[in-house]
Amino acid sequence: MASPVQFVIETVGLKKTYAGKVPTPVLLGIDLQVAVGEFVSIIGQSGSGKSTLLNILGALDIPTEGTVKIDGVDISTLTDDGLAVLRSQVVGFVFQSHFLLEELTCLENAVLPIAIRSGSATPEETEWITSLLVRVGLGGQLHKSPDTMSGGENQRCAIVRALANKPSIVLADEPTGNLDRHSGEEVFQLMRQMSAEIGIAFVMVTHDDRLARAADRILSIEDGLMRSLRNKAP
Amino acid sequence: MTINTLLPRQIRFEAQLAWRHLRSGGGQTWLTIAAVASGVIIVIFIVGVIFGFQRRLTALLTDAIPHVTVQVPAARPIPYADLPGRVAGTSSSRTEMQAPQRKNIDDWRTVLAVARTIPNVRTVTPAVAGQGFASKGANPVGVSVIGADPAQQELVTPVTKNLIGGHYLGLAADEVVIDYELAKDLNVGVGDRIRITSVSGIPEPLRIAGIYSKGQGRGSAYVTLRTGQSMLAIGNSVNVVFVKVIDIYGADAVAERLTVLLDCEAKSWSSEFPNFVTSLKAQAASAYLISGFTLIASSFAIASVLVVSVQRKAKQIGILKSIGARSNQILLVFLFEGLGIAIAGSVLGAIAGIAVLYLSSLPKEAVGRFGGVPQSVIPLILDPLYILTAMAAASTATVLAALLPARRAAKMNPVDALR
Ligand SMILES: Nc1ncnc2c1ncn2[C@@H]1O[C@H](COP(=O)(O)OP(=O)(O)OP(=O)(O)O)[C@@H](O)[C@H]1O
Ligand SMILES: [Mg+2]
Repeated sequence: MASPVQFVIETVGLKKTYAGKVPTPVLLGIDLQVAVGEFVSIIGQSGSGKSTLLNILGALDIPTEGTVKIDGVDISTLTDDGLAVLRSQVVGFVFQSHFLLEELTCLENAVLPIAIRSGSATPEETEWITSLLVRVGLGGQLHKSPDTMSGGENQRCAIVRALANKPSIVLADEPTGNLDRHSGEEVFQLMRQMSAEIGIAFVMVTHDDRLARAADRILSIEDGLMRSLRNKAP
Repeated sequence: MTINTLLPRQIRFEAQLAWRHLRSGGGQTWLTIAAVASGVIIVIFIVGVIFGFQRRLTALLTDAIPHVTVQVPAARPIPYADLPGRVAGTSSSRTEMQAPQRKNIDDWRTVLAVARTIPNVRTVTPAVAGQGFASKGANPVGVSVIGADPAQQELVTPVTKNLIGGHYLGLAADEVVIDYELAKDLNVGVGDRIRITSVSGIPEPLRIAGIYSKGQGRGSAYVTLRTGQSMLAIGNSVNVVFVKVIDIYGADAVAERLTVLLDCEAKSWSSEFPNFVTSLKAQAASAYLISGFTLIASSFAIASVLVVSVQRKAKQIGILKSIGARSNQILLVFLFEGLGIAIAGSVLGAIAGIAVLYLSSLPKEAVGRFGGVPQSVIPLILDPLYILTAMAAASTATVLAALLPARRAAKMNPVDALR
């Protein structure tokens, strides 16, 4: 890369209006910058547009107006396949439900992004993913099918999957929303560790104030605009 | 995983996921495989039975006739003006006269040699054929005469197996074999003498060596080649060469080839029976039509099952896209699924189709004559080419049927799918 990218995500005047019989304006001009390795949490009321924002930041959806740069690339310049490459190599997703494929085992699910990128994982890549799964406490579940694993286990597997292609940023939409307090806490700690160790930025949407406060930065979406609630003391 | 490593690396993910889909699909997968298989079974059976009947009918018809008949071109009137060597300016009226044209194949040995180089040709028999009158005492009866070496002629028109008395093989120069109808008209039997008068006008005294019956219609009188040549007064020439081929449906090609290679006119049996050939074609067309509709019906069944399965997998498609799958990769996953169904269905269908054909060929007809080979009640054809074609057609139809749902899957918007 020519110049080192300072922000993994940078939006200027991002607006999103859902077209339809009644057009729904959701995001009314969001300026957001996420630095390399930063852990940001986003809170906001239900329906405020948190998922909408995350989908756009992950190149799953396109903004109505404004620019979005992911890893320094303006996504409006990319083709569908270019967006797919971005999702494959720069962004990782974690959703509220784990969304693992039930046809595949835990390990196969976790290496899936690598398989999609290059057909199949090399033994080294598989070894790396296995070590991550062992780290998150799934060493004994490698060859189990998702429907025989607990919600917390599945979500941990989904986090490893999000890390598989060593992305610059992971977007997590209520990753602990379906979990009890204890497993939620575990999953969150895991994300924090990974972020710190591998240097991956995280943007986490959550309804859990306690978890939100544990992030580097808390942002809130209200009435389509972004508000910064607190910066962590340096 | 082991088979997967044989595939190019770029498509291993798609192949693996398609395989997992099929495996986890269970009953639904088997349903689609069964739809393809039944299509293949029906096609193999229909084609096998219709072409089987065609073969038997054609064999019945062509067994006792030459497959290709080589003659000199029929005499045509040539305008006087076109005659070679005429004196210029002598004709004011457009007089037409019979040009000196060939009637006989003088170089028949060349014809034989050339004909034998054509792969599909089984036997070649030089012969003389002509019209004449047979008489015993007063009343003459019209008869067509064929002069040929009995052993060779036997391969063109079986006479011996139809004999009701006497012999044909080993016919002497002063002997003739006539058909039952003529014997009845002349009121003669084996060993009697008759005369046959041909175009030469000289009555040829002949002893009846055998009498045969075709079962219907009048047959020719058979003499040796020499006798025939002298009766027609054509020296050492012949006026016809009979060809029998191996593949009866290749007779037209042989005739065309002979016409091109030789200065002769070669006619295939099919030109003698245009209606028969037309009805064969109509039958074949109906077989293809039924096959086509069967495959269309089974691909509709497959398409509808796959459309539902894609719908059910919407969420998964959303996930795959969110973790970087390109639209083409999604397309390929579902096409591979279709391909898997196509291969499994057509292989199973071919095995079952062959089994069905074999079982229906088991009932045999009672043998009419002593020493006859029993024929199946339903004549069938088990041609590997037809079976492979049926498999290929069914597979193509299946993959095409998978294309529609696969494209729908590829186009799916990940955000909508994940909601
Ligand atoms: N495809 C769509 N078409 C129309 N409106 C939509 C669409 N998707 C979302 N919306 C609307 O946009 C608004 C924001 O939705 P979004 O899912 O982003 O909210 P959210 O902040 O994630 O809420 P929650 O906390 O409940 O997950 C909602 O009012 C929703 O109804
Ligand atoms: Mg949401």
